[in-house]
Amino acid sequence: MHLDPFELHRPTSVEATVRLAHELHGRFDYLAGGTDLLPNYKMHLNLRPHLIALHDVAELSGHSPTRIGAMERLAAIDEDAAYRTAYPVVGDAVGEIATPLVRASGTVGGNLLVETRCFFFNQSYFWRESLGFCLKADGDKCHVVPQKEVCYATFSGDLAPALMVLGAEVEIAGPTGRRRLPLGDLYDAKGDGIRRLAIAPGELLVAVHLPADAGSWRGRYRKLRVRPSFDFPELGVAVAARFDGARVQGLRIAIGGVEPRPRQFDELTRPLEGGALSDDRVRELAARLERSVRPVHNTFLAPDYRRRMVGVYVRRALADVREVRAG
Amino acid sequence: MSSPDRLRFRLNGQPVAVPCEGARILLDLLREDLSLTGTKRGCDLGTCGCCTVLVDGRPTLSCLTLAALMEGRSVDTIEGISPPQGLSPVQRAFVEHGATQCGFCTPGFVVTATALLRDHPHPSREEIVRAISGNLCRCTGYTKIIEAIESAARETV
Amino acid sequence: MASTAPSPYRLLGGRIPYVEGPLKVTGRAEYTDDIKRPGMLVGRLLRSPWPHARLRSIDVREARALPGVFAVLTGERYPTPFGVLPITHDETAIAVGKARYIGDIIAAVAAADERTAEAALARIRVDAEPLPEYLDPRVGLQKVAEPIHARGLAGTNIQKEVVQHFGDVDAAFARAAHTTRVRGVFAGVTHAFTEPLVTVAEATPDGRLTVWSATQVPHYLHRSLSEVLGIPMHRIRVIKPEVGGGFGGKSDPLPHEIVCAALALETGRPVKILVDREDVFYTNHGRHPTQNDVRIATDAEGRILAYDIDALIDGGAWSSFGTVTTYYNGVLAMGPYRVPNFRYKGRRVYTTKPPSGAMRAHGGTNIRYSVEVALDQLAEELGVDPFVLRTRNALPPNSTTVNEFRITSTSFLACLEAARAASGWDATFRKLPYGEGMGLGCGFYISGSNSPIHFTPKMPQSTVHLKVDMDGGIAVHSMQADIGQGSNTLLAAIVAEVLAVDLDRVHVQRVDSDVSPIDLGSYSSRVTFMMGNAARAAAEELKGKLASAAANLLDVAPEELELVPERFRLRADPSRGVSFLEALHRAMEHVGALTATGSYQTRPVGGSFKGARAGTAPAYSFAAYVARVRVDEETGEIAVRKIWAAFDCGRPLNRLAVEGQIEGSIHMGLGQLLGETMSYRGGRLLNPSLLEYKIPMPQQMPEVEILLVGGDDPEGPFGAKEAGEGPLVATLPAVGNALHDAIGVRFHELPITPDRVLRGIDERRKEGRVWKGA
Ligand SMILES: Cc1cc2nc3c(=O)[nH]c(=O)nc-3n(C[C@H](O)[C@H](O)[C@H](O)COP(=O)(O)OP(=O)(O)OC[C@H]3O[C@@H](n4cnc5c(N)ncnc54)[C@H](O)[C@@H]3O)c2cc1C
Ligand code: SF4
Ligand code: FES
Ligand code: FES
Repeated sequence: MHLDPFELHRPTSVEATVRLAHELHGRFDYLAGGTDLLPNYKMHLNLRPHLIALHDVAELSGHSPTRIGAMERLAAIDEDAAYRTAYPVVGDAVGEIATPLVRASGTVGGNLLVETRCFFFNQSYFWRESLGFCLKADGDKCHVVPQKEVCYATFSGDLAPALMVLGAEVEIAGPTGRRRLPLGDLYDAKGDGIRRLAIAPGELLVAVHLPADAGSWRGRYRKLRVRPSFDFPELGVAVAARFDGARVQGLRIAIGGVEPRPRQFDELTRPLEGGALSDDRVRELAARLERSVRPVHNTFLAPDYRRRMVGVYVRRALADVREVRAG
Repeated sequence: MSSPDRLRFRLNGQPVAVPCEGARILLDLLREDLSLTGTKRGCDLGTCGCCTVLVDGRPTLSCLTLAALMEGRSVDTIEGISPPQGLSPVQRAFVEHGATQCGFCTPGFVVTATALLRDHPHPSREEIVRAISGNLCRCTGYTKIIEAIESAARETV
Repeated sequence: MASTAPSPYRLLGGRIPYVEGPLKVTGRAEYTDDIKRPGMLVGRLLRSPWPHARLRSIDVREARALPGVFAVLTGERYPTPFGVLPITHDETAIAVGKARYIGDIIAAVAAADERTAEAALARIRVDAEPLPEYLDPRVGLQKVAEPIHARGLAGTNIQKEVVQHFGDVDAAFARAAHTTRVRGVFAGVTHAFTEPLVTVAEATPDGRLTVWSATQVPHYLHRSLSEVLGIPMHRIRVIKPEVGGGFGGKSDPLPHEIVCAALALETGRPVKILVDREDVFYTNHGRHPTQNDVRIATDAEGRILAYDIDALIDGGAWSSFGTVTTYYNGVLAMGPYRVPNFRYKGRRVYTTKPPSGAMRAHGGTNIRYSVEVALDQLAEELGVDPFVLRTRNALPPNSTTVNEFRITSTSFLACLEAARAASGWDATFRKLPYGEGMGLGCGFYISGSNSPIHFTPKMPQSTVHLKVDMDGGIAVHSMQADIGQGSNTLLAAIVAEVLAVDLDRVHVQRVDSDVSPIDLGSYSSRVTFMMGNAARAAAEELKGKLASAAANLLDVAPEELELVPERFRLRADPSRGVSFLEALHRAMEHVGALTATGSYQTRPVGGSFKGARAGTAPAYSFAAYVARVRVDEETGEIAVRKIWAAFDCGRPLNRLAVEGQIEGSIHMGLGQLLGETMSYRGGRLLNPSLLEYKIPMPQQMPEVEILLVGGDDPEGPFGAKEAGEGPLVATLPAVGNALHDAIGVRFHELPITPDRVLRGIDERRKEGRVWKGA
């Protein structure tokens, strides 16, 4: 399976990259590990004539306890035992992504910006043409919810929810300079499966930063999928909590794999802060979260099942962090 | 800064310079242009692991790797990790334990297992399972593949 | 572990590493896609985007005009129909007049490179009139507006209907003390071998055509090429390189193989067609989506009085092996139990979906699941232990079934005993906590189809040639097809065993129709039995020639000699003898290289009624598996933790291979059980990828304890039967029944995905039925 020709660019600094991006406006994609982009290109999904490879931009690489460069390979995090111990929620998530072979090339930046997925989108040109193209590539209707001009493709990255609950921020570089925003705000709350990001097309993700207190949160990530490797999340639940004796001082829950963006549910968790994480409260919270997500039928497992699992996974992830505290 | 018309990298320990356009995939370069057919094409989409090669020593899916990005790096294929005579300990264990049936997945598994044992000479069963969990085998049920890797690990004591 | 009786043979019965193993582990084994011929073109196929459409016209002018395009073909060029069964030739190399499923080939191009070939496909204009799609086989049971094939039964889409009745089923049900019934619903599954379909073809100026292909049955491909291309077989040479798995999916002659050859003829250049992974899913020929209704009547002790079975089989667009499938879905229920009365109605219906065909344990898997689940249900209803129930019903050795299958060897009782003891059944079954369970499932499968598909039983089903020259190396030729199951190794080992030489003296030659004598290839678990017997006969003949020469040298009668490794010696005086090579060189005097031939021909068995031959085999394998599972009652996820696999393959000739077949079969069986499914929306396959087609990963494999308990089969080579397919069938019901023990729910619909598990648990609770206190 060959790729259609494109021009490959290899800038060496963030500034040069952003400048190039500006020049090639709308006619390029960034290439990180390529494990998401290249399969999509092989399927002729939204091809661009230029690729800007980020491999030679030194600033994007490496990781420390509080910063991960966008080009850091997933395997580098997975193999860093100290990092995984410091942030178990990230360790859980990274170790469950795809396969060791995908993690060897796939990057943290690519994972946060991974293309949303749908049974009607992640298909060959032949397949999509035979059904009629959809909104997300080459077409004008949605096969999942035909009544609307909205795309429900699912955000299927594992890392985002895990980093969100630690309060991660992303560093973005654009033509006007650099800025930081909370990771959750990277994903457009008013967008859909197509317009999924809140940053401008062509803006570069430079790094992920963890706040100084990230290590004081105890978190876990639990992933639902059919097979223990290869499969994208059909649901990913990240929780992080901070305890003061029996009382939960802080509580965050973020959910991915069910909607076009990963979402953190502070409005549901905040009322629990300051009290004890009793079984009743956990159960009630889990039930509310279950009602708050709206999966559609565009992945392998049925949406009602995935929604039901939200409750189970939230309860289990919370049990995990309560145990960690005890232990 | 367009793509170089000659790509230079180390292939199985030897420097090479080959014509290569920007959109060439490493698997295609190896199999079609360089006739290194030991690396197999099972799916072309990252979903089987048959195309695994070592890039700078790391098991990597050659079907999802742009060849142009190999500039200055080193690539080792199954041909490169096979000794000139006889078999490597991993290869011998695969033969003796019946870890290869149809053999189409085998080069990928051998590459993955070779890197595993280089970095972790005494992996636990769980570590082996995890390491091979990106390589698909339809014939063996993995049982004998795991046994072979365990046995190769014992041999390299 | 396996039985411990020492093998009386030098090699056979041991663990024999595959002879081609060193080539496979180094990447040096040559598969079809590794072949590159000078000037080779790329062949590409245009596939139908319609599930059913009349092809009014296909305009290829623009495609042909593209520089770098060498040929564009459409259906009319080679319209001769073909198919694996001579009675149901309903396929064409390229669709003629109609396209019948999404993925059906409607045109083909040969071009200088991939990009040009694809550009050419994009320039082919097809004027098509969509026709009604038929996705549900129930619809096709009636007369339809636009039958998929003209040969469907009386204006319907029924491809084959089988009605059989032996004994008196209604009377048996009338006097039964107990009856039970189940309806099983099975999604289609596919082989998903790792090596995609691929063919290389080259026509040369000497008027010959050479075809290299990833095939399990080179001989049927050879025939089909000849029929469709109109070239006598002797001018076609079929070569089978190494094959990366088949499981039945490379046993039909496939359209792309014929198209590739046709393109080579058109262009005069070598052509390769590599079918990409998505298109491999469309080519399918996998296990049929099936619905079966099984009713069983027993006496008060659970002795089976009758089976009444109905099967509705979704065939997809073509016949393929479908006629056989239709019989098998009934008659493969005839073992491993005595069934005195039997009624079966099976219908296979064409639908506008990718064709189904033969897949590992063809025809036996789905019916075995339903029957074994029904028996488990029956045991429970009667309050009889599942093992006891099976023991009471075991088919005795040297018996005849009610439909006249000849049963010779069976170690089924030994399988039951071994599985029961090893698994600790008596102390465990029904005694595990809620969510954990143990179940029994049993198997029965043919060891080679008794009737050759293409010619009279007067022709042998397998022939093996041996040739020895001065060097003493033994070249072995046969058209048997090693697809990873180890038949090359077995062939070499049998020859080496008989001739008492080391394995490295024996060289199994690549399958090449110019030199390989016919063997029908790898399907129906026939290879060990048939090729094994042919190989033994050939080696015995050669041994006779060598013994005569040795006797001549020693001036004794051949009968006085015995053959030991590398030496003929006098039985009475072992110090007197000649070496293998001395004997060989004497034997070669005045004749040159020695040759020998052996063949195997099935003897006629079975009844004489219509369809009597379906399911007859020279022997049958038997199995009893126990599975141990754990169910997560909140998520519905299933963990299969251990399988005890007691199997009767006769004498295991290569334990390494037998174990590998059992482990691989269990893996494949679990796939169908846990998540593999050909999922459709309309006629469109939703998951044509190895990402969304859920083959189990290593983390999901249970521990497997293999118990090989078979005794010698009287007709099998060195007592062997089969282990290629039978080991799959018991896997599914063992796990299905274990799930019932775990959570009290019967699963009749496959795959058993976690949402179905939860639904089962919910329903049980809603009805207020408690299971193991939960
Ligand atoms: C078989 C298979 C299974 C998979 N399973 C999973 C899974 O279980 N979980 C999961 O999360 N993912 C999975 N993936 C998807 C993917 O491999 C990973 O998400 C990976 O982390 C993507 O990283 P990458 O570097 O390869 O991204 P790329 O493919 O290089 O890029 C992905 C996207 O991000 C953009 N991008 C990348 N870096 C930047 C940057 N710095 N700034 C701006 N834009 C950028 C690219 O333009 C592209 O649109 C799977 C992939 C495969 C092939
Ligand atoms: S949700 Fe609808 S618009 Fe979005 S990718 Fe799927 S089919 Fe296309
Ligand atoms: S060919 Fe690369 S993963 Fe399948
Ligand atoms: S040996 Fe055939 S796929 Fe692994």
